[in-house]
Amino acid sequence: MRKWTFPTIIFLVSAFISLASCGRTKPTLNIYTWADYIKPDLVRRFEKEFDCRVVIDTFDSNESMYAKIKAGATGYDLLTPTSYMVSLMNSQNMLQPLDHRLLPNLAHIDPEYLKTALDKTMDHSVPYMIVYTGIAYLKSRVTDFVPSWSMFDRQDLKGRITMLNDMRETIGAALKFLGYSLNSTEENQLQEAKGVVLRWKKNIAKFENEQYKTGVASEEFLLVQAYSGDILQVQKENLDVQFAIPEEGTTISVDDLVIPRTAKEVKLAHSFINFLHDPQVAAENITFLYYLSPNKDSYPLLTPELRHNPALFISPETRAKSEILANLGPANALYVKIWDEIKAAK
Amino acid sequence: MKRSRFPFVITVVILFFFYLPIIILVINSFNASRFGSGWQGFSLRWYVRLFHEPEIWRATRNSLIIAFSATALALVLGTTAALALYRFAQSRLQRFHYTLIYTPLVVPEILMGISLLMFFVAAQIRLGLSTIFLAHVTFCISFVAMVVLARLQDFDYAIVEAAQDLGAGWWATTRKVLLPLLLPGLIAGGLLAFTLSIDDFVITFFVAGPGSTTLPIRIYSMIKYGSPPLINALSTILLIITFGAVVMSQRISRVKS
Repeated sequence: MRKWTFPTIIFLVSAFISLASCGRTKPTLNIYTWADYIKPDLVRRFEKEFDCRVVIDTFDSNESMYAKIKAGATGYDLLTPTSYMVSLMNSQNMLQPLDHRLLPNLAHIDPEYLKTALDKTMDHSVPYMIVYTGIAYLKSRVTDFVPSWSMFDRQDLKGRITMLNDMRETIGAALKFLGYSLNSTEENQLQEAKGVVLRWKKNIAKFENEQYKTGVASEEFLLVQAYSGDILQVQKENLDVQFAIPEEGTTISVDDLVIPRTAKEVKLAHSFINFLHDPQVAAENITFLYYLSPNKDSYPLLTPELRHNPALFISPETRAKSEILANLGPANALYVKIWDEIKAAK
Repeated sequence: MKRSRFPFVITVVILFFFYLPIIILVINSFNASRFGSGWQGFSLRWYVRLFHEPEIWRATRNSLIIAFSATALALVLGTTAALALYRFAQSRLQRFHYTLIYTPLVVPEILMGISLLMFFVAAQIRLGLSTIFLAHVTFCISFVAMVVLARLQDFDYAIVEAAQDLGAGWWATTRKVLLPLLLPGLIAGGLLAFTLSIDDFVITFFVAGPGSTTLPIRIYSMIKYGSPPLINALSTILLIITFGAVVMSQRISRVKS
């Protein structure tokens, strides 16, 4: 046993020290992002064009990524948090301002989108991918569908509906239903929204974030509150599944490209952001991921099928009523309290 | 007297619960459907896609490097710690040592993860495979030490003394007497350490640096946007390899005896 243990350790230790330090000749761009969030071919193309290595590491939630960076983890050059997390990180001085001279492709960003953005001037963040929250339903089973949050009140679908298990999405839907802002911090509006969600809760099967895709694909659920990108995936398997954005407006979720303060390859990170917003690249990425990159000059390059898909392109009127989830600061506690009361209610 | 069928039923039910999820996973890895909601036909598409996913293979390689190296070092350190704890059980220093070794077993993982991260940051150690390795050795030592110590509890030290009496030197005693007697403990401790290391998520997440994503981190982060069937396919491959290794080792030991 001992005969080989020591040489093995020495071999393994030296093996991974050398692994960790190889490839130093080329610059390395370290990206920290969600899994499968960029078309792999595009990464390879970037590596070739800029003669560099791209290393992608993944996180599973904004909060855990934040905890890690906040505790001092360094080495990442580019992150893709959701916009509410971007504003939190920016308020804590964790992000670098972007140098627009290195980002000529920002001219392609959809100005309509920027009106709703949290960082309207793209001072420290560039939008990467957009997801809309909406309603997915089975066309053949749900009669007289209307694109409205009021669908969750439909008695004939009782027990065959799910809503998202996410306080901002669910309370936000109720706030929109009532005609308020989904970033509202008014106590009385929130209490009113709580009443609506409690009413919906009696009608739905459960609050659910993952299984609803399977559920609607297998026709277990007839109507679900859903993210657009997920439903586009489901539609490939079940053509009966339709997606609609409620006319009262909805949540726009955006993941942004940001450069942390501790980044080493700042210039390369800028080049990567610029590369992703090349219209051709953005169009390929949209086609691969089924999320919408707000790059207006990439839209004409998409197939007509995607171009007219309501889960990717929503009407300007609905979009005008929709909002991005903002970082609420101290008012967050109010949402947590209401959400706890909703979850605890019988 | 008729034997009760109760133990048999219980055994079957437990085996059912152990293996049914795994069987479902294996079956689903051949399901063409992305959502596993229904059978949409036999397909190898997830296996084909798996071989075009360099990220997953890189994560698998990282996990294996860490698991093997951390297990090897934890075995050596953990065993020597257990020997010291056993041999000098009465000394106050060793009782303190026991507490130190025991603590990582009860400290919540998240606390260990964040404190290790803060330590590495303060010590200005670059995060990467080496920090994951150190973290894994840290918690694996305790498990190895506890398992080996349990083995030592019914070990008669007189045997070692007898060996020395008969003229065996330090090295011969260790190799011919101590190690063979401890071998089951070493194997158990090593397997435990390996398993803990290869599927640790919480601690690893915090101490991982650029380019050192391990398989569990990769799998967790696929929940939001990724394709879970890929993981079914990968798990099936890992299962086949594991079963293969177990069967092989049984064959080998049978041939030997």
